[in-house]
Formats: sequence, C-alpha cells, structure tokens
Amino acid sequence: MSDAPSTRKPGVTQGQRRTLGGLFAHQESGLIIVILLMGLGLTIFGALNPVTLPTQQAVEPGATVTVLDKQNAIHPTGVLGRTDISAFRVTDPDGAAQDYRVSDGWWYDSEKFQLSREHTVNAFLNTEKLVLIVKDASFIAIMAVGMTGVIILAGIDLSVGSIYGLAGIVGAMVLTKMPADMSWALAVPIGLLVCIAVGGACGFANGAMSVGLRVHPFVITLGMMAALRGLTLVLPSELFETQSISGFPESFTKGFFKAEILGVEPVPALFMLAVAGAGWFVLSRTVFGRRVFAIGGNETAARYAGIPVARVKILVYTITGALAGLSGCLAIGFYGAGETNAGNAYELRVIAATVIGGASLMGGRGTVIGAVLGAIVIELINNSILILGIDQSYNQIVMGAAIIVAVVVDQTKQRLAAKRG
Amino acid sequence: MRNSTAVMSAAAMVLGAGFMFAGCSKSGDGSSTDAGSDQVTEDIPTYTIGVIAKSSSNPVFMAARTGAVAAGERLSAELGVNVDVQWKTPPQEDAQVQAQYVEQLVASGIDGIAISVTDANVLNAALESAVAKGVIVVTFDSDAPDSGRMAYYGVDDMAAGAEVMRQLAGVMGGEGTVAVLTGNPAAVNLSNRVKGVEQAAAEFPGITIKDVYNFTPETATEAAAKMAQVQTANPDITGWALVGGWPLYTDNALDGIYETAKIVSMDPLPLPLEYVKKGQVQVLVGQPYFGWGEKSVEMIVEKKHFDRSPPSEFVYATFDIVTPDNVDAFGENWKAWLGED
Repeated sequence: MSDAPSTRKPGVTQGQRRTLGGLFAHQESGLIIVILLMGLGLTIFGALNPVTLPTQQAVEPGATVTVLDKQNAIHPTGVLGRTDISAFRVTDPDGAAQDYRVSDGWWYDSEKFQLSREHTVNAFLNTEKLVLIVKDASFIAIMAVGMTGVIILAGIDLSVGSIYGLAGIVGAMVLTKMPADMSWALAVPIGLLVCIAVGGACGFANGAMSVGLRVHPFVITLGMMAALRGLTLVLPSELFETQSISGFPESFTKGFFKAEILGVEPVPALFMLAVAGAGWFVLSRTVFGRRVFAIGGNETAARYAGIPVARVKILVYTITGALAGLSGCLAIGFYGAGETNAGNAYELRVIAATVIGGASLMGGRGTVIGAVLGAIVIELINNSILILGIDQSYNQIVMGAAIIVAVVVDQTKQRLAAKRG
Repeated sequence: MRNSTAVMSAAAMVLGAGFMFAGCSKSGDGSSTDAGSDQVTEDIPTYTIGVIAKSSSNPVFMAARTGAVAAGERLSAELGVNVDVQWKTPPQEDAQVQAQYVEQLVASGIDGIAISVTDANVLNAALESAVAKGVIVVTFDSDAPDSGRMAYYGVDDMAAGAEVMRQLAGVMGGEGTVAVLTGNPAAVNLSNRVKGVEQAAAEFPGITIKDVYNFTPETATEAAAKMAQVQTANPDITGWALVGGWPLYTDNALDGIYETAKIVSMDPLPLPLEYVKKGQVQVLVGQPYFGWGEKSVEMIVEKKHFDRSPPSEFVYATFDIVTPDNVDAFGENWKAWLGED
C-alpha cells in the first residue's frame, strides 16, 4: 500500500503479500491497527456509557398538551419539574387523549409544540458520530495529501493554513455576489474553480520562488503564510468592510456541500476519499509520482537521471496549494461562511497528520493513505477526549504525545529495517 | 516492519485498555462536573450541558467555566437531578473548530449548549442544526441571533461600548483624541461595542476618534504590541477606549502610554485591577464573567427541567464600574469566581 514502488522490500515475497501476513507488512497497517483498536476501546466505552439522542414528533395542530403528576393529577405545562411528571397528555381537537410517559423517554417542548423521545445509542459506534469524525478529518486530510508530496520532496509548506483561509474568503466574496436561487450545477463549479485557482496560484508562487530564488521552502512558505494571512484580513475588510462573509446560494451549502444523505452530511468526507484515491494513484502509479520519490530520495541523482526537478517541485507545490484551496471551498460550503481567521495554525495539524501517517521529514518517504489515516487518528483522539469526558485542555498534550510517539516508532522501524539490510 | 507493527499494536492495545478502564471509572475524572454522580440512579434525570467559550487561553472564560460548574452543582442539589457540565473550548479562537465542537456535542447526546460565538456566520448552521435536533442553545458574551438559540446572556454590547466612552470622556474632561482598541473584527459583540463607543463619542464635541485598531489573534501580547505601535506612531492620542481588556493581562503593557493618555477598558480581571491600583488605568467596565456560565446553565436547566423559557430572548446583565475607590473590594469577588474560596 506504500505509494512508492521503490519501497517494496525484497524480503517480502509476492506470495506473502497475498496473505494476511503480507497485509501487515504494509506501511499503513500499524495505523490501521491503531485506529481499529482505538475504535474497539471507544466502542466498549460507548456501550458501557451510552448516550441519549432525541427523536422529535410534532403535536397535531389544535391539540392541547397537559402534564400528569405522579398521582395522575392534571397540570398545565411549565409548572412541574421533570422529576414530578409522570406523563404528557395530548388531547386532540375531537377530544381523544393519549398519554406519553416520561418513563418511556418522552418529553415535551411547549415553545416548539413538539414531543421528543430519547433513545440510547452507543456513544461512539453510531453512524452520525463516525461520519462526523471522518468529516472533521477531511479538511485536514485533503491538505495532508498535498503535504505528503511536499514532504516526500524533503520540502515543507507552512502556508497551507493561510491558503485555506485566503481561498475560502475569496470564494466567499465571489459566491456572496451570486443570485440566491442559483442552481448548484453553476454555484458548485464556480466555487470550486475560484478556490482551487486561488490555492493553485499561491502554491505555484511557493514552488516558483523556492526553485527560482533557490531559497529553502521553509523560508518562502513562512513568508507566504504571513503575507497570505494579511491578504485574507485586508481583502474582505477593504472590499466588503467585514471580516466574515456569508449569504451564499443555498444550493452551494445545504444543496451540496452540507447536503444531508441518509441522516448524515458526508460530502466533505466523500471529497476526501476521492482526493485520497487520486493522490494514491498519482504517487504510486504514474511517472510523475516516481519522479517525486526520486527527487526526495536523492535530488542530485535525480537531476543526473534527467528528471526535470524544478518543474516537478513547482507542480507539487501547485497541487498542494490547489488542494488547500479545495479544502477551503469545502469549509465555506459546509459552514456557510468565509472568515478571516479560518485555517489559522492548520499547517501544524496538516504536517502532524502527514508525519503520523509515516512521511519522513528527511524526504523520500511517505504515503497518501498514511496521511489520510493520520488525519483520522488526530480526529479520533480529539473525539476520544470528548467521549471519555476528559478535560479538553489535555487535547493538545495528547496530540503532541501522539506525534512524538509516531515519529519515534517510525524511526525505530527504519533502524530495524536498516539492520536487516 | 513486523516489529514496528507490533510496537504500534501494543501502543494501541494500551490505548484500548485505557478506554476500557476509563469506561469503568468515568465518574472519577476531574474534567467535567458530574455533580451528584454518587447518588445517580436510573430515576434521576441527567442534564448534560456543553460550554463552548471562544478560547481557553482567555482568563475571562475561566470565570465563566467556574460559574457553569458552580451552577451545575447547585442545581443538582436543589432539583435532585444530575447536571453534568462539559467544558469544550478551543485553545485559540477558531469559529470552525467551535462549529465542529457543536456537532460533536450534539452527536454525543448533549441536552444543552452554552456558547460564546466567535463568528456567527460560521456557527449559524451548526447551531440551527443543534436546535432542530432538540438541543437547547444559549449564547453568552457574543451572540448568534439568527441561529434559533433560545436566549442570549450578557451585557448590551452597544451600551457597554458607550459606557466605556462616557467614562473615558469624563476622565479626559470632555476633550482629546481617542484611539479605540478592539480584537477580532468578525466578532459581533466587539463590533457592537465599537459602535457604542463611536455613538457615545458623538455626544462630546471636544472628543475626536483617531481610529479603530484591531488585532488577531486575541492575545495579551498582540494587544499590548498593537497599543505600543499605535501610540508611538500617533503621539497626539490622549485617550484609549479598550472594548476588551486584552493588553492588561500582561504586567507592563501601558509603559509609554499611560504617561500621556487616559485609559478606560472593559474587563476588570485580577491583572487589569492592578493597573487601576497603579493609577495607569482610570476606570474598568465589568461584564458578568462568572454569570456567563452560571446564568447560561441556569437557563438551560430551567428549560430542560421545567420547560420554561426566559421572558425575553435577550437577558441583559448590568455593568460593574471599577475605579480606584472600589478596586480592592471588587478584587475580593475574583476569589469566589475562580473557585479559590
């Protein structure tokens, strides 16, 4: 499953790869086991500590609702506390009455004129929670796919968070000028095109300056991070006199990026899967991908081998910028607004996901699937802290520890592999 | 390769075992206020309330957290229920992360959410969705009026800004050039306070507003640096209206400024109070920091337990005015608000 064809170890035979043992030899297998075991632990915890979710039921117009106390005496709503109520009585306009018992999980909201019934579900293993985790991971994971290419090149891109913010705010500025009733078939391509173009242009600038000026990408992208963030603040302020822009065509938000399918909102997660698939294909099945690994492994040798190093590097940074733009587009589509603080410090989360996913900051090694799994691990840790009821302040400590553990394990793996020759 | 897989597997098993252990001992963690958890039986309703502030690095929200926890404990005892307050606040201001926290809390079966909204445009959809799923939403400090939330608790921000300006005009003798310091310009509460400052300034013909200066991220050092830069570039500034107390969370933020300018600020927290004692800040205008958490939790429990909503969707608190005359007495409040009593 490694993206680099050259990383296939001679000690692992073709026969072994077809077996379960062969499966465990893949670079991402450790991450998959981590995710599965975390999931198992959280599922057991979630079963021991289930949560209650309400299902709403509107009361028929014209019906009246009264409250029965423990002795079945009738009271108006809003008088008794929950512990003193035995049931809610709904009386139809024709006089027919039905009782909804609190002991069965029923509750009534007089303001919404709505009954709700609570049912318990596993705190972790439920569709809504799982899709939410993958959706939250998707914004980071999509950028991590691009970052994988950059890190394989032994480079770094510190500007992805700022590109994410700038692409989002420019996309928002364009979309807010579109007619409110615009079809999704127009609004979505326009939004995607604008955000990806902005992101791609920023990425091209990163690559071109780094290559053309022969300055380490750390310095160039550090400068771009600050400059693009400044632009993100200035543009909406100068043109719209605001720092937060909303009011997009509904077809762009609820009609597409925040569309509800089977009770969940999976569009960002679906984009992540598509980007991960495309990234895996490009890095592992194309000449371009082989060139990226070759440059990261030994740039001088790659140059002598006739690989157009400068062009490949610029293209990788451009793709990374474009993916940051795509992620920014997903964010404004899902949340319905662009704001100047969006993506602040996200570069660190993206790099963390890539490193946890097995990419080496020394270059020459990394996988797209690993980066996506790394983003999911980060989001799993984030959600675990909520599910386990641990103070949110510990989140960053756990996250930092996870990054260090991942790198240490990765280096141990490299040393063991080197010893085996 | 297999060795490394084994190492990662072992680490994951330790994590998994940790989760299972945590599953058997949840009430023992010190993070959430599981008030009255010792006596929990199936008959005792549990109300789980998530509190999402703007940033956990801002001390005003720590008082809100203490207030929420205190209200949870008190209401648990008074009503014979179990009020579980969960603190879920990003380390730095990030509206998207706040929206994700809202979604995560809703998926975790939360009963109510008390939130100080970083950017209403970004949060509206998530809060609307939460309300549609039966979650009771109360905003404090910074509002999202179009989100369908049940109520907002805090000061009237325009009135707060106006109060800052009137106090400043008073200590400036009604004359001079004023700079206005604000934080994240996307925050509705801050922009309303700035409007209040500008409107009140119009009442004083001798007062001129130099400009409104904003900065992000909202940290003490960023704010202090911004003030120093502005004052150095504009020595004619003789008054500062601070619609938040950010720079005063450092020790020497006003060196080079207080000598020539009068300063009135929001947020009489423990560190800003020291500036009043030193005579560098003339007046502090206070918000109900402890009450943000306390009243928000009270309103959510009132709705959840009794099905009672507040009479108005805007529940406004009064201001505290802190001057050198009452600064010591006011400082005593903080011991209780920060749970030091």
